Amino acid sequence: MNENTPGAVPSGERGSGGPPLVLPRGKTESVARLVTVFGSLGSDREKRVHYVFDVGEAKYWETMVAASGPVRSIVPELPSAAWYERELHDQYGIEITGHPDLRPLVFHENWPEGVHPMVDAVNQVPWASREYRFLTVQGDGVAEVAVGPVHAGIIEPGHFRFSVVGDTVLHLELRHFYTHKGTEKLFEGSLVNAGAMIAESVSGDNCFAHAIAYSQAVENACRAEVPPRASAIRLIGLELERLVSHISDLGGLCTDVGFSVAAAYATRIKEFLLRASADCSGTRYWRGIAVPGGLRFDLESRKILGLSQAVSLAARQFADLARVILETPSIQNRFETAGVVSPEVARDLAVVGPVARASGIDLDVRRDHPYGHYKSAQFEVPVTHYGDVMARAKIRIKEAAISARLIQQIASALPIGSVLAPLELDGEMHGSSAVESPRGELYYWLEGSDGRLTRCHIKSPSFQNWPAMPFAIADNIIADFPLINKSFNLSYSGCDR
Amino acid sequence: MIFEVLERSLQQPNRVIPVEALLGNCDGSRMPDVTSARLTPAIAQRLVEVCPTTAFSMGELGDRPCLKLSYAECIGCGRCEEPSEGAVVTAPRFTWCGLPKANLARLWDLESHTEITPPRPNPEMVRGQIRSLFGKALNIRQLDAGSCNGCEAEISALTNPYYDLERFGIHFVASPKHADMLLVTGPVTRNMAEAVKTTYEAVPSPKLVVAVGACGCSGGIFAGSHAVVGGVDAVIPVDGYIPGCPPTPAMLMTGILEVLRRRTVR
Repeated sequence: MNENTPGAVPSGERGSGGPPLVLPRGKTESVARLVTVFGSLGSDREKRVHYVFDVGEAKYWETMVAASGPVRSIVPELPSAAWYERELHDQYGIEITGHPDLRPLVFHENWPEGVHPMVDAVNQVPWASREYRFLTVQGDGVAEVAVGPVHAGIIEPGHFRFSVVGDTVLHLELRHFYTHKGTEKLFEGSLVNAGAMIAESVSGDNCFAHAIAYSQAVENACRAEVPPRASAIRLIGLELERLVSHISDLGGLCTDVGFSVAAAYATRIKEFLLRASADCSGTRYWRGIAVPGGLRFDLESRKILGLSQAVSLAARQFADLARVILETPSIQNRFETAGVVSPEVARDLAVVGPVARASGIDLDVRRDHPYGHYKSAQFEVPVTHYGDVMARAKIRIKEAAISARLIQQIASALPIGSVLAPLELDGEMHGSSAVESPRGELYYWLEGSDGRLTRCHIKSPSFQNWPAMPFAIADNIIADFPLINKSFNLSYSGCDR
Repeated sequence: MIFEVLERSLQQPNRVIPVEALLGNCDGSRMPDVTSARLTPAIAQRLVEVCPTTAFSMGELGDRPCLKLSYAECIGCGRCEEPSEGAVVTAPRFTWCGLPKANLARLWDLESHTEITPPRPNPEMVRGQIRSLFGKALNIRQLDAGSCNGCEAEISALTNPYYDLERFGIHFVASPKHADMLLVTGPVTRNMAEAVKTTYEAVPSPKLVVAVGACGCSGGIFAGSHAVVGGVDAVIPVDGYIPGCPPTPAMLMTGILEVLRRRTVR
């Protein structure tokens, strides 16, 4: 075994006493879950590869290998690493041996070969015209349907290449990263306090979760203690974001099956909450509120109570709407058995969030790696195992109700005091943090020195979950794709960054 | 089942916000406004330093120092309020939506404490003009050129029962070939540049292009990234700009109607 091989070492030999990280397939229950793989540069600008695993007992376990030479792929053992290693290959030019598919992921035909933004200077990158080879599916009656990047709706861009026989999808190939904005590179050199604004622009509808994950990573690096009032208000913001997102998703599912009345109800409830949110915090999506150390400003308790009342009303209306939707026979017909993600696929691809919980994977960062006010909060984590559109819809309905209860619980017992703790930013810093965003586990890892960032990596739940989509759509009819896609509710921008 | 749905519909009050209450409304956007009388050269300098984009910048008009606020770059983060000693406040109203780029910047003379922004060619809409916009049809094709999805969330909200854009005969259409207006969000990424041009070409003439959000107007917080080409006008011609990060539905509506008015009300 190559010296540069991560994992694959049984417990004991590593010295840290961790569990075996990589076992043969089939024994996946005992494998630690891969969280992310990313690169960085050492102080001598030597390339490094970091591997982060969730090893249970509220611990993330990180290991690093030097990558001056080729690094052996872990994809044969952990398929969930496939996109991460392709990204490493693109961004750092790290040679990965044994990877089944090292086509460019992040960069398209226009990007010249051999330019790696995380290592090279990229001020004036010439436009190239390279070739991209899609997988081909052959056989009698197989046709290709190419969709995107521009889609017929108010949605983000991405390309889908379906291979179909009649209406049935044999294979879906994803081609994303149309919204790649070089975000991780933008963090480099940024002031630590300004980084929260970049984090907020990674995925616009989950901006508060990103701001919190970023801020917590800084706080962990500086060993800063966030004041109780700030962490309570953060919890309210995070749960509100989840509630709004889940309401919007259920409405979107109704839109995609032509149940427009229910869809309009959902948009009405969502808008009611966004307006209540603007009344409370001055911003509809809680932008510009979270900063490393706490919050930029305090929110009045009176206004938070007002928000909590609005949440209570919205949650009641949503529960009523959800009951009507779930009892509608045509909805049951469309939702049930559509887009199944089996527990095996979910585990192999290490999916996270509601998609994982709908496929029997009991995983929630709020409970498993508690942070901030979640350490003392009481809440359940719903899990079901059918893995179809209906399962994902039901998980969201249950979580919305739980989020609403959490908001009311915390709002009724808000701590008093300041909302911003001072940060000690001098010297070297290194920290990471995870947050359960509405789409699942969001993980930030950063390094900096003297108040400026040198590296910030974002593991977004969408990047993790997109590769499971082709498995969910296979054997379904192509007309169900919008519905199945919506039931995942993945962010393109969060994935592409 | 359908009767239960209908019963609920009948129980709901009408939520539609009158257009007069929407135009110029910017609640929840935190766009900044400057109080001229409180502005000093020292405060102006601090605003330039604290701004994470280049929305605030110093300039000179003749030999007099002046402060420039370009809404195209502003992401509404509110960080300029703290060091401003009251010179910057959250704008109670915001009407810089749907204007040409030249009209998106404001200027203040720091010696005389007065705003010296050149007047806009068209004043704000009056009631009669609003009415004249009804009864026409406009088909909009929304195009994401690389946005974070924040603008999309707010654009989708335009069709909800509060804003009901359809009351103006404005529809979102699925194909650029059916569109009169392209509503483009996001900084144009390298990977989307070609698709943006192709989509623009597919819209039949005469066509309108509106750039949405700080990113669409200027590249916003992503300006200068190696993976981003710039704002929408770096790739295709733009008729009107709607600032904000993201612009609220009311700001979007103000901007769309403003662009429409410039085209139809002469």
